[in-house]
Amino acid sequence: MNTIIKVENLNKEFNGLKVLDDISLEINKNDIVCIVGPSGSGKSTFLRCLNMLEKPTSGHIFIEGVDILDEKCNVDKIRQKMGMVFQQFNLFPHKNILDNLIMAPTTLLKIKKEDAIIEAKKLLNKVGLEEKIDAYPDQLSGGQKQRVAIVRSLMMNPDVMLFDEPTSALDPEMVGEVLDVIKKLAKDNMTMVLVTHEMGFAREVANRIIFLENGKFSYEAPPNDFFNNPDNERLKSFLSKVL
Amino acid sequence: MINFKNAIYINFIKDSRYLYIVNGLKNTLIITFFALLIGIILGLCIAIVRTNHENTGRLKILNNICKVYLTIIRGTPVVVQLMILFFCIFTSREIPGIFIAIVGFGINSAAYVAEIFRAGLMSIDPGQMEAGRSLGFSYSQTMKKIIIPQAFKNVLPALLNEFIALIKETSVAGYVAVQDLTKGGDIIKSRTFDPWMPLLLVALIYLIITSILTHLVGLIEKNLRKTER
Repeated sequence: MNTIIKVENLNKEFNGLKVLDDISLEINKNDIVCIVGPSGSGKSTFLRCLNMLEKPTSGHIFIEGVDILDEKCNVDKIRQKMGMVFQQFNLFPHKNILDNLIMAPTTLLKIKKEDAIIEAKKLLNKVGLEEKIDAYPDQLSGGQKQRVAIVRSLMMNPDVMLFDEPTSALDPEMVGEVLDVIKKLAKDNMTMVLVTHEMGFAREVANRIIFLENGKFSYEAPPNDFFNNPDNERLKSFLSKVL
Repeated sequence: MINFKNAIYINFIKDSRYLYIVNGLKNTLIITFFALLIGIILGLCIAIVRTNHENTGRLKILNNICKVYLTIIRGTPVVVQLMILFFCIFTSREIPGIFIAIVGFGINSAAYVAEIFRAGLMSIDPGQMEAGRSLGFSYSQTMKKIIIPQAFKNVLPALLNEFIALIKETSVAGYVAVQDLTKGGDIIKSRTFDPWMPLLLVALIYLIITSILTHLVGLIEKNLRKTER
């Protein structure tokens, strides 16, 4: 079995408020897992725990067999293999697009600058932004920024990609271009965990959809079962509101 | 008119008295420049310690030392600090006064620069730190490559304002036997018994320098706003 992420009894509290309640989950290679649920249910917190941007209160998270909650674990090293895409893009505004892309691989993976530039051009070409290579983030639209942000993560050649509501901050007409890029990744068999509100998209690309509510995974199913005959009252009411 | 020419002759030309002004200005600029350099380096270190503590809860002892330092330096007059350095700590008169002045003003300025930098570092969107960390950069790598460069750009106008303030503050350097611009004017006054000419010229020179710098701050602020859009 090719388990990439294994979560065991994960709990997260913020000042005594329980946000994640005893969550366990296994994510295998090539899985595309979409996490959906009402706002405030802990979706983003769960995703951010996976790469320790949020420190869990208790439980275990194994990334490719390594317990990242272990004191001795070098989390920086683990994060290099996990790409993360944020709602607010978080590109580095003081660097142009090329520098945004090559900074991490040249510094952390010691990849030669020339090789990193070739890779950056190749990936920018893939997302249709090769002509923006010398632009600065502020000169790009939201959709373009998010595509660059995805490429920035891909430059590290990650084993898994985490998406935290990647289209929520975008104007409606830009959502499609970003989702298209993610679909391409799905075709290339990238392992992905996505928190999203795009139900149609989740249905199209995911092989597993998880319904998170009040900090618990209350239902999981493949997309067809999830949307067509959900076996869960709360999910039914949620779907009736969002579909 | 003859009186005016005569006053200029007596105050500045006779016995090469203008040299007090020229050398004084030189010393004022040297003290200000190097004090600000110390201030920026030391201030940045303090700001990094303080922000690190606020973000991660680490470096508790260092943070407390910094807090005590900031309280003392910002809560006492710079002249008193300077005199303590000169009369209590660096008691050997082998040490040039200008060196003591640079150290004194540097330590003083660092306290103010530290707070400028701290505000600058805190003003950067936390998403920048998260993006850096998520790529695999360590905390210090993210600070060095992503946070500090952006913060530095944001605080540049405030730093230049500190430079302007420091130039004026160094006018008390005469207390520790340094012949700065103000002291130069003071010496001429005591030789010629004419307070007007030398002190007005000294004031005018300060005014010209600070006006140029203030203008520069305005230009930089305008430029920064442009590149942000």
